[in-house]
Amino acid sequence: MIDTAPRDLDRESAALVVDGLSKTYADGTQALDALELRIPAGCFFGLLGPNGAGKTTLIGAVAGLVRAAPRRVFVFGRDAVTDPRSRLLVGLAPQEVRLDRFLNARDVLVYHGRYFGMGRLEARRRADELLDVFDLAAKQNTRSNRLSGGMRRRLLIARALMHEPRLVVLDEPTAGVDTEQRHELWRYLRRLHTEGLTVLLTTHYIEEAESLCERVAFISRGRIAAEGVSAELLSRFGGERLEDAYLEVLRT
Amino acid sequence: MIEADLRVMQRRGLVALAAREVRRVLSLWTQTIVPHVVTALLFLAVFGAALDSRRREIEGLDYLSFMLPGLLVMTTVSAAVANASTSLYQAKSEGYIEDVLTSPLRSSQIVAGYAAGSVVRAWVSTALVALAAAPFTTGIAHPLGAVAALVIAGFVFASLGVIVGIAAETYDQHAFVANLLVTPLALLAGVFYSARALSEPWETLTRLDPLYYLVDATRYGFTGHNDAPVLVSLSASAAVGIALFGLAVALVARGWRLKP
Repeated sequence: MIDTAPRDLDRESAALVVDGLSKTYADGTQALDALELRIPAGCFFGLLGPNGAGKTTLIGAVAGLVRAAPRRVFVFGRDAVTDPRSRLLVGLAPQEVRLDRFLNARDVLVYHGRYFGMGRLEARRRADELLDVFDLAAKQNTRSNRLSGGMRRRLLIARALMHEPRLVVLDEPTAGVDTEQRHELWRYLRRLHTEGLTVLLTTHYIEEAESLCERVAFISRGRIAAEGVSAELLSRFGGERLEDAYLEVLRT
Repeated sequence: MIEADLRVMQRRGLVALAAREVRRVLSLWTQTIVPHVVTALLFLAVFGAALDSRRREIEGLDYLSFMLPGLLVMTTVSAAVANASTSLYQAKSEGYIEDVLTSPLRSSQIVAGYAAGSVVRAWVSTALVALAAAPFTTGIAHPLGAVAALVIAGFVFASLGVIVGIAAETYDQHAFVANLLVTPLALLAGVFYSARALSEPWETLTRLDPLYYLVDATRYGFTGHNDAPVLVSLSASAAVGIALFGLAVALVARGWRLKP
């Protein structure tokens, strides 16, 4: 049967459209307040904001980890809440490293690939490829809870890429990663991006966003306070570096 | 994307989740299988061998033959509940359930995947107890009936285990159902005595225990002896299993205690 589900062409042309998304947790905390965001397909997009601004809630809504209202979040035109096909398009590396401790590094990747519909052989081939890329091949038989912090972080990113998503969401991916590995990771992310992958990156390292991202959004109190390319943000908010604009936005 | 492709991918995901759960059961066999088998064999040794000499027959059956079907049901239900509830609770509390929750699996497939580990643990444990007891029993009167009753018992309590795993927010809550609900229900389900031999209100209370009907149907399968109509017992138990499975699916779909 051919997929005939109605799709919005404008939304489909963007990797991610968030259309007035609000989220209030059970304890009354309003994490998102009618948030609007559009990330063009193929863009390397940075999301910057202080702790508690709503970054992780937004990412959770995109990936299906946070309950959200339908028809508010669209991944390549597909409703992230109601359409299971949207899940195939998103790869998530969450901020907290939480891996299945019963599995070794290779199986973490293979099982993830299979949960996302890959055949067994295909998943094994892809896992081996990513273990090489992330310099984890020597630790492939080590249980995930016995890997070092940096290795676990790399494994998490490899897992996000395992099912070859079109949008990869990296929530603070270089936290706890040493400088050499960070630059190695940057190189890999740039390469993926040049191959057409859309990347949504949240980070506390402003220089990371400056170095990698084509567009940047500042999120504050559950809303996008400003969005654009670095030059636009600098001319709008003043300052010589993105950090100056960021601090100015937070002050206002 | 072709709709049929999505269904194939989701089926692969279900198989992977079920395989991961079964692998957990088999790799942790000293924690998942052995305790249930040892407990059942101890019951058989104490009540069957030690006391059998003093209490020859119940309902025309030797005591070990009378008791064994109930012990098999006890083994099945305790293993089934423990597995899904523990595995889901661990995945939740350690956060790695997000790997499954972000996948394209349907809610029913997530429940089925976790329940698969439960039924394998339950049936492997039960089969080992049955094998160990086989030399001391007189065979199986209605094999199909015995298998049906144990299959339904596994299904009902695997579904309950999934619900417990979703609902539990602390280890105590997770252990509560096993210790204060399933074990008493199992012990009061006529495993060790005949309901007809009890005075009121105990006979009525025993007949109100839903596990009594699974024990009775399993006893029919093994010995040919039953108190309640077997088809009614099995049908009602299967209906309870379907209702519990449906509830578990609804909870996963809603994200209750799984997603903020």
